[in-house]
Amino acid sequence: MPNRAPNRAPNRAPNKARSGGPAIPLARWADRQLKTLAAETASPRIAALDGATLMGERGSNGVYTINGPVSAGLGGSRLMPTRDGGWFALTLIRAEDRQLLPALFGDETIAIADNAAIAAAVLARDCADLVTRGRDLGLPVASAHETPASPPVEIMTRGPPRDRPRGHRPLVIDLSAIWAGPLAGHLLWLAGADVVKVESLTRPDLIRRDDPATFDLINQGKASILVDFADAAQKAELVGLIRRADVVIESSRPRALRHLGIDADALVRAVPGLVWLTVTGHGARGEAANWTGIGNDCGVAAGLSRALAEASGTMGYVGDAIADPLTGIVAAREGWRALQDGGARRIGFAMSAIAARALAEERAHDAAALTRELRAWAAAVGQRFPTVARRPLWGEVRPLGADTPRYLPGLAACRSTAC
Amino acid sequence: MKPGTRLKSAACDTEVMVIRSGDGTIECGGAPMGEAKPAEPAPLSPDFSAGTLMGKRYVDADGKYELLCVKPGKGSLSVDGVALVIKDAKPLPASD
Repeated sequence: MPNRAPNRAPNRAPNKARSGGPAIPLARWADRQLKTLAAETASPRIAALDGATLMGERGSNGVYTINGPVSAGLGGSRLMPTRDGGWFALTLIRAEDRQLLPALFGDETIAIADNAAIAAAVLARDCADLVTRGRDLGLPVASAHETPASPPVEIMTRGPPRDRPRGHRPLVIDLSAIWAGPLAGHLLWLAGADVVKVESLTRPDLIRRDDPATFDLINQGKASILVDFADAAQKAELVGLIRRADVVIESSRPRALRHLGIDADALVRAVPGLVWLTVTGHGARGEAANWTGIGNDCGVAAGLSRALAEASGTMGYVGDAIADPLTGIVAAREGWRALQDGGARRIGFAMSAIAARALAEERAHDAAALTRELRAWAAAVGQRFPTVARRPLWGEVRPLGADTPRYLPGLAACRSTAC
Repeated sequence: MKPGTRLKSAACDTEVMVIRSGDGTIECGGAPMGEAKPAEPAPLSPDFSAGTLMGKRYVDADGKYELLCVKPGKGSLSVDGVALVIKDAKPLPASD
């Protein structure tokens, strides 16, 4: 019998569902993670997934364009050269983010709506100063030459174990928004969990309204409840639901969760077997816990844009919010493993570090293929984002708040007696 | 006060970054804030002791002043004796 390396999958076409455009770099890495998740969960629906689909379906739905130093989606993230030869990634997606620009540049005369003026201001400053000040301001920023500040996956808190009977259907409370956290919840739903998506009255998940094609894919089958976090009774009801849950997924900045009055660590210590998945941009502890991070700038902080420049000679974004889908897959896998183990724990996932790990592992796996894909990605600037076949909907997409009475019955009782 | 200036409370641990500012006196805990901490801490005024929250943006009624809390403390923020209030965070859009 010839000896075969057990942990090295044979190279194969990674993008079996791809129907057009260049391969998304790291899709092969995502394939391998999905394969592991499919084996561990014994889910045929997860086995049928591939990395290119999960990483490309948002850009495919939105008919995005590969834009080089401008993000593929709304173009809200831009990579700009700095005075000291670095590259600074700045994401400005809300009008109020632009109001922070005078403080970022220390210049009240900056034309905040003018991207050329912003690029000129960036070019007149050093990268590290911009990154430090941008993070102080709570802007999603990154340097193409930084190293992630936190480990990719970190057990933050442990609590008592719980014995789950065979066939127990896990209850997952998904407090997260946008992409990474909801994708983790979606994969757990595919693995058989009962998933409840919680949205805040004042901060709903805007992807529901603004990108329903993607929302439906990653939130299908989830129950939907709506909670007013300013209302103490509603919040107490939600905490009661969390105490009955097996898994919680959230993607708040740690202090935002504390401000809401939800103490994740205390719950993990108190509720046997509770698995709490905390998704952050750059880490949940120390100074990095205060930084914001979204998929594109976290990909830059992971070194992906630097890798693109090294392979191709041109700087740019790789994929669409690439750290989001990579993190969603990893969080689902770690969450599933924790459930099997039985011990309560809070696990932190740092998107920038997960993307950096994916890059390092893919390089170790097949550096030549990765370089080819990065070069092809760089050469595809101006082309349409890769299209992927649309996945079927297996579950209903519940209207916002449709399941609040079912999961938070106290609220319904309270309303019915007009208390 | 120039945008981007970091101001420290004389009465507590609070530090803010100036996002927007007029010519009034920015205070914390009832005492004027400065770029350096005074040698002797100022007393914390009971009227301005509700505390500041890390990462929150504080504004006046006219939107002339906006301060970002970069280090929390026991004092609360005011301009010329008028308390500032927390500006609500907006949700993130579905794409960037």
